[in-house]
Amino acid sequence: MKKYSETHEWLEIKDGVAYVGISRHAAQELGEIVFVQLPETGAAVSAGQPACEIESVKAVAEVNSPVDGTVTAVNTALEDAPELLSEDGDAWIFAVEPSSAAAGLMTEEEYKEFLG
Amino acid sequence: MSDYISLTDKEREEMLSVLGVGSVRELFADIPAELGRLKVRLSQGRTQKETEELVSSFAARNKVYKSVFLGAGCYRHYIPAAVGAIVGREEFLTAYTPYQPEISQGILQAMFEYQTMMCSLTGMDVSNASHYSGATAAAEACLMCLGKTRTIGVYDNVNPDTLETVATYARARGVKVVVLPSSGGKAVPYEGEADAVYMESPNYFGLVEDVTAVADAVHIAGGKLVVGCNPVSLALFRTPAELGADIAVGDGQPLGLPMSFGGPSFGFITAKKEFTRKLPGRIVGETADAEGRRAFVLTLQAREQHIRREKASSNICSNQAHAALTASVYLSLMGSAGLRAVAETCAANAHYLADKLSEAGAPRVHKGEFFHEFVTDVKGKAAEIVCALDRQDILGGLVLSPDRILWCCTETVSKSDMDKVAETVGRVLK
Amino acid sequence: MKTVFEKSSAEIKGMEMPAPQVEKHIFAEGLLRDGLRLPELSEQEVARHYTALSKRAFGVDDGFYPLGSCTMKYNPKLHEKLAALAGFADVHPLTRADKIQGSLALIDTLNSYLCGITGMDAFTTQPCAGAHGEFLGLLLIKAYHASRGDGARTKVIIPDSAHGTNPASAVMAGFEVVHAGTDASGDIDLDALRALVGADTAALMLTNPSTLGLFEKNVLKIAEIVHDAGGLMYYDGANLNAVAGVVRPGDMGFDVVHLNLHKTFSAPHGGGGPGAGPVGCKKALVPFLPNPRIADTDEGFRFNYGKRSAGRVSAFYGNFGVLVKALAYIVTLGGEGIAQASETAVLNANYLREKMSLHYPIDTSRPCMHEFVVSMKKLKDDTGVTANDVAKALIDRGIHPPTIYFPLIVEEAMMFEPTETETKEGLDRAAEAFGEIVRLAYADPAAVKRAPVTTPIGRPDEAAAARHPVLVG
Repeated sequence: MKKYSETHEWLEIKDGVAYVGISRHAAQELGEIVFVQLPETGAAVSAGQPACEIESVKAVAEVNSPVDGTVTAVNTALEDAPELLSEDGDAWIFAVEPSSAAAGLMTEEEYKEFLG
Repeated sequence: MSDYISLTDKEREEMLSVLGVGSVRELFADIPAELGRLKVRLSQGRTQKETEELVSSFAARNKVYKSVFLGAGCYRHYIPAAVGAIVGREEFLTAYTPYQPEISQGILQAMFEYQTMMCSLTGMDVSNASHYSGATAAAEACLMCLGKTRTIGVYDNVNPDTLETVATYARARGVKVVVLPSSGGKAVPYEGEADAVYMESPNYFGLVEDVTAVADAVHIAGGKLVVGCNPVSLALFRTPAELGADIAVGDGQPLGLPMSFGGPSFGFITAKKEFTRKLPGRIVGETADAEGRRAFVLTLQAREQHIRREKASSNICSNQAHAALTASVYLSLMGSAGLRAVAETCAANAHYLADKLSEAGAPRVHKGEFFHEFVTDVKGKAAEIVCALDRQDILGGLVLSPDRILWCCTETVSKSDMDKVAETVGRVLK
Repeated sequence: MKTVFEKSSAEIKGMEMPAPQVEKHIFAEGLLRDGLRLPELSEQEVARHYTALSKRAFGVDDGFYPLGSCTMKYNPKLHEKLAALAGFADVHPLTRADKIQGSLALIDTLNSYLCGITGMDAFTTQPCAGAHGEFLGLLLIKAYHASRGDGARTKVIIPDSAHGTNPASAVMAGFEVVHAGTDASGDIDLDALRALVGADTAALMLTNPSTLGLFEKNVLKIAEIVHDAGGLMYYDGANLNAVAGVVRPGDMGFDVVHLNLHKTFSAPHGGGGPGAGPVGCKKALVPFLPNPRIADTDEGFRFNYGKRSAGRVSAFYGNFGVLVKALAYIVTLGGEGIAQASETAVLNANYLREKMSLHYPIDTSRPCMHEFVVSMKKLKDDTGVTANDVAKALIDRGIHPPTIYFPLIVEEAMMFEPTETETKEGLDRAAEAFGEIVRLAYADPAAVKRAPVTTPIGRPDEAAAARHPVLVG
């Protein structure tokens, strides 16, 4: 079950690992994504703070981590195929080992309502 | 003075009536009254003929020498007539930055070809579409390497304007600049910490450096090596990439651009692939349109200031595109053999003059291989020598101190000019 | 089209150079490179290649070029001839001062004209472009505050309508950027500004007229607020073409300005450069200008080296060839001519806007200056046709598109700057073309989205270019 932040990232916990991606809405707003500056494995991230950047042809956006923790893995498939983020709202960007529970995130329903 | 305005008085009246205003001044209503009208006191306007006479009179007050032995960052080379004829086409000269690729394919393709030529010369993987000058290219290249030490090392035997420019750019950002020593005119490998080390080969004194030795030391210490080079020399010498440089930069003026009192010229920045997204300024890439036709576009724009604003790595917007185009046309005309011939003649002339000056009592100050510049010891007579040459319509080398002159020979100097220089130096030193 | 490399033939040896008259120098073998890949073509083939490329480009002589914020005015041919005179082009920058009095006098004369036009006390010509000038101008401001022991001034205030170079330059100069809000017409919110300024304010950077093409009415008030807080006022000269000869930045309260000689002063843009971005300042900042400075002495012009310079920002004295063109422009026009050029630029912009407003809702309630911004949001909402689509459709009608998607504070922005040199006929035709495209967008939006169809290529795949960069061929 994905949970969403107000800055349009999602967080999904699978087998104890928290995966982070961006919402379909965010991907659409950005347009064709051309590059993902992945964070480094082992980097500390904080909830609501930028963890990495994604670029479209004529825009650049920061991806905030929805949760405090440490980056344990990055989706290297995005290095060669950043378009996966444009095409598929399910592509994850990085995985985090949370150091505290995620707070203030929305369910899919709530997020839809938030978008209005 | 109204040659450049196309409206007739009648049209002006018609336009004002469309706008429903009595005079143009009404359109300036937002300007506060206290700023008043025009404290600008300039001359009366002139006809084009009068302007030509006036501006030409400035040119007439400069001395144009028959023969030039002065280099130090700006060089007189032979420029084929075709260069000016081609780059003077208005489509190249008067266009803006190619933001609209469909009507700018010519300019975009020329920039792509320029990038290819620069990479070919330096052996690097990627190039931007030009920077302001060799000095600013060096400065921004060093900033591309910034990391945890926030320190940039610059050798003391590089062009002093470049050193000062790198220092200005670095200090503005709170980055420390360490001036690194040379010995016998050549860089001493630096083993201390720095994010970037900047060296030149050939260096300010014309000496060909042992780039690899410096590169090894810099890399062991965890830094990156930026090498400044004269593009004409690259027709002969192993490429900076081959020798271990991470970024190669330089000033492109020797490639078909007149000296023009120091500008416009252009800076080139070429780098290993890993630096692609850190390159400052415009870059052209190849792609295709929907029908699969080859197309060129400005690419990787998300790096740049118009998108990234305060997070951009550089503020550069306008570059020196037309100067870079000029270099591309020059290189296309010369071809590899032509450019090599230029470089070989420069080197041959410089070595001939160095030998002659040595015989005349002004030996070289440094040992080791040099390209087309070298320093001689003139025993306190530098100013006198330059004056004596001036009387013979020869622009002598750069006076570094009363004892030292930095000479340069390009392919434009003749054997008889060089003999005259040596003879004059011999006479003054006697 | 094939690249110059693809047209190359190994059989051709390029231009023949004279053999050296002296013995060839043999370098140590380890120093020499193996091969060198350059184009190998005859002179005619080179001429044809680049002529073919030039036909795939669009310059000011090819048609209307209303690229907002870029001031694409006519570039007089005389200026090219003058810059190419041997007495300028064949002069080495390190020649002794007494042999280059013409160059030094030219720079000095240009500087004094620029002082007259801007109300500044001194200029330097070292910066090679507008952004380069911004960087230097901010360094002057930094040095000024530092000289007063006022190291706490670390912030530069920049309105959100500013060019991207402003914040990028501020960061390069070591400042932190603070954003100032603007209202719908692009004017700075004075109350918000009062709250922003303080002991940490180094400067405020302002483009006036703003990037919306409107004169900042409160400029004197803004200057007072910033000065009262101890900050300085920086004038981005990108839009000087509206007010040159009419009002001076110095009188508006600015302390430092940069000018774009390749915009206001008619030097050609060269497909992206070279430009020139001279920087002027008020007396208090003069000591910090970069070396060398030119001094008019009893013995003629000489170089002067100050001890408090904020530092050199490039080699030599900037893009001298561009300075020659700007000086020629100023002396041809004279004071009255420059004012007339600004007035005509403003007239042309207002006229074009008025004519375009017959076809599409455009607010014409307040006079614009030399340029204006139209939001295509309504068209996009109604038809799906975007500012980019309209731009491409203008290409098919022989018109260079305006600047699009800038300023960022206007959705679907199109920024038109006709300049003073455009003809009335050209303006009328452009307004008609715009109207025709708007009508087509409502009738057949797909037809607009197919544009351009008259160009050598259709819209390129920019995403593919950025995803898998091919940067050399």
